[in-house]
Amino acid sequence: MLSNIKHYLSVYRKFVATSIAVNTSFRTSFVMLIIMDLFTFFTTIYSIDFIYNHIDTIGPWGRNELLFFACFMLMIDNLHMILFSESFWELSFSIKNGSLDFVILKPLNTIFSVFFRYFRPSSCVLTPLYIFYLIKYGNLVGLGTLDWVLLPFMIFSGLAVLVLIEFCFCSAMFWVTEGIGINFLRLQLQQLSRWPNFIYGPLARKFLTVAVPITLIGSAPVHFLLDKSRYGLFLAMPVAIIILIFILRIVWEKGLRNYDSASS
Amino acid sequence: MSSDTVINVSQLCKKFVSFKKEPGIVGSLKSFFVRNPIEKIAVNNFELKIKKGEIIGLLGPNGAGKTTLMKMFTGIVVPTSGELSILGYQPWQRDKQFRKKIALVMGQKSQLWWDIPAMDSFTLLQKYYEIPEDKFNERISHMSEILEVKDLLHIHVRKLSLGERMKLELMASLLHDPDVIFLDEPTIGLDLVAQENIRNFIKEYHARTGCTIIITSHYMADVQALCERLVLIMGGKKGFDGPIHEFEKVLGNEKTLSFSFSTEQNPEAEIWKNYYPEWDEKNRSVELRVPEEELRDLSMKVLQNLPVTDFATEKLPIERVMKTLMENPELLKERSND
Repeated sequence: MLSNIKHYLSVYRKFVATSIAVNTSFRTSFVMLIIMDLFTFFTTIYSIDFIYNHIDTIGPWGRNELLFFACFMLMIDNLHMILFSESFWELSFSIKNGSLDFVILKPLNTIFSVFFRYFRPSSCVLTPLYIFYLIKYGNLVGLGTLDWVLLPFMIFSGLAVLVLIEFCFCSAMFWVTEGIGINFLRLQLQQLSRWPNFIYGPLARKFLTVAVPITLIGSAPVHFLLDKSRYGLFLAMPVAIIILIFILRIVWEKGLRNYDSASS
Repeated sequence: MSSDTVINVSQLCKKFVSFKKEPGIVGSLKSFFVRNPIEKIAVNNFELKIKKGEIIGLLGPNGAGKTTLMKMFTGIVVPTSGELSILGYQPWQRDKQFRKKIALVMGQKSQLWWDIPAMDSFTLLQKYYEIPEDKFNERISHMSEILEVKDLLHIHVRKLSLGERMKLELMASLLHDPDVIFLDEPTIGLDLVAQENIRNFIKEYHARTGCTIIITSHYMADVQALCERLVLIMGGKKGFDGPIHEFEKVLGNEKTLSFSFSTEQNPEAEIWKNYYPEWDEKNRSVELRVPEEELRDLSMKVLQNLPVTDFATEKLPIERVMKTLMENPELLKERSND
């Protein structure tokens, strides 16, 4: 078990090293990606700020609560961009042109080889900015010591729910071959998760909590951090993670068996 | 299965389903709503046994099922039915140990990262296959010297020529010292010198390691230089399996007889009729397939009656046999009925 973990970590270190080597080869693209991330960050923050210049609350939350939620989601988004975002597009491409063949041949778990292969170093440049704003609004909503300790775990749990949902969706690429539709649907689900769950009607909320549990990504942990009596959804997070891992293993294995590989 | 059998294939089948689409916008709209599935049997009841240390040439025309077989052998594609065992493993189960013991080189696909030097890809492969540092360095040094690519290891792959890239692809696939190597058209698109370099390298590697190699190629020179045994696949079925010298006689004991003439000849003349003549554009030279027992009589007849400037005879080349079989696959059926 320990040697297995060591093996995967040593491969992952190489994934990171080779991704950095590739990304830094194209300097303009590297800078453009940083600018894109900056735009995303500030448009999100200032849109919310602008809305609160005209109203006092959205649902139960005031300006600081919603901005803390937004920073929480932006932090998850930043980690998602660094660790996973490129792999989804690459999977679609490699199923279509058959380059997935070489991934299947490698003596590692294919989920790891596919989804952890690409690392985006340009997004790391802005990580301190995301952390700074998260701390700023965390202070403004009055997080306690325990909350600050829990915060990193909650971010990683939210990220885990998000990527597991996406991995499950992407397994469908083995059947449909063209993955663009699935990738855009995945991005729309991400968009839905960037809003707190109370903006959705009861039926939609139930659907987005039970069927496609994207409200567990950000709404569940932030509600718990702001109000300890709202622990129900927060406790559902580990359950969702276990169920999603179970589903992923089944659909991924079925997908791999369905893989035809492109002709040479 | 005997202990030295590395590959054991029985009744192996693979079906692919695609759909038919008519051309144009109307065709696209129609096929969006109604799909006409077409089932294609890529491999049909295929049987094969390969012993440890053999080099097998897998030949066949385009679409015969060679690459599909290779993909089933390596676990990339799951068979529809039949039995398949490689080194005692079922490839489609993708056991970690199995994947460490095999290698696949595809002449038309690359496993090297395009935007970084090959050495960076090699160090990643070292981690994948858990190759100890000393063995890794030793193999890199040895292979790069034989393939003459020492100076290319630190150049971005996208800047290399096809031949250079292929050498590095081979290195990438052999770094983990596999027991069974699948080479799918490893010399495709290479110039003659590069082809020969690759062939010599494979030969040397096989002699040194005693590994088992299955190679597909459209270049008969590859097969002749490397393989003692040849397996012919046509329409997903095995058409021939045996030593290469027997394949040369698959059409009977025929030889190639070629003549050059000082004047233009009549290709329709009776004399050529039974010998599958192949004329040049000016009808001044011809190549014939002649049964060994008729060789002497026919040669004398032509030499005495026609203005011959040059003539030669040789064994029927393997390429000629392949071409004839591809044009007349029924000859194989006739042969198996005999």
